[in-house]
Amino acid sequence: MSPYYEDVDTGDAIPALTVTVDETQMFFFSAATYNGHRIHYDKQWARDREGYDNVLVQGPLQAALLSRALTDWIGGAGRLVTFSVQNRAVAYPGQALTFGGVVTGKRPGALVDLDIYCKRGDDVLMPGTATVALPQRGTQ
Amino acid sequence: MTEDSLVDDESAAKIGTVVAVATGEVYRRDWQRWAAAVGDHNPLWFDPDYARRHGYRDIVCPPLYLQYAILGVAELDGLRPDGSSGAVTGGMAFPKAPRRMAGGESTTFHLSAYHGDEIEMTRTVESIVEKQGRSGRFVLVTWRADYRNQHRELLAEATTSMIARPA
Repeated sequence: MSPYYEDVDTGDAIPALTVTVDETQMFFFSAATYNGHRIHYDKQWARDREGYDNVLVQGPLQAALLSRALTDWIGGAGRLVTFSVQNRAVAYPGQALTFGGVVTGKRPGALVDLDIYCKRGDDVLMPGTATVALPQRGTQ
Repeated sequence: MTEDSLVDDESAAKIGTVVAVATGEVYRRDWQRWAAAVGDHNPLWFDPDYARRHGYRDIVCPPLYLQYAILGVAELDGLRPDGSSGAVTGGMAFPKAPRRMAGGESTTFHLSAYHGDEIEMTRTVESIVEKQGRSGRFVLVTWRADYRNQHRELLAEATTSMIARPA
């Protein structure tokens, strides 16, 4: 069920999604996005050539998980209108990542603005903003 | 450009120009594989009856998948040493800043894409800026991409950025 525009208030948090990405998921995501970048599968390259501790969770996978938290919340009658994220810090496989958002405002057209995030503990790895359109009561 | 700029002249000359036009067909199996890899089981991407009950004519492509529908075929001999292809971003190399990672993405979605749609993406270099961060100098490249379907309808407008750091 989609939330109704009328029932959403500024300051509301959307249900958070927590995912611990593993290397199998990373492999399938690279395959699905035709991504050959070694930093996502070649540990030696990631460590010796690029100076990371391990292979890196794909930024676009973090973004996709964040959009999943949004589209799960808005349901079939809601619509994702804008989605904007910045990659601020890297994530490694095996780390619990939390994806969520907070409503920052409502606008005519049943639009709801949110601040969204991917966090590891208290560290924001991927901040962003989104706008969704929600169904209104009596118009469905 | 200063003598020691991380931005080579060839890349700098591309600011404001179209660096890539790519076309591709939207395939439900491809977007469903992507959704499965994300653990995203939204019935809008999988269940035609559910999608129709919510005003769509069929299952729809997840908004964030659209950017992958236009990816072409990479020749393995032509990959960069780091395994990336660079085709979609216009093959901008930044030889003085070879360590690259995604910066961010900002997209406005106008219309849904359906199975069988023919998508054309036009990508323009919006800016190339050298910056100083906590861990040293880097180059921030920003592209703008428009996605249109076979009816020339604008599906999405995206701004993406990449960070390239010296070796």
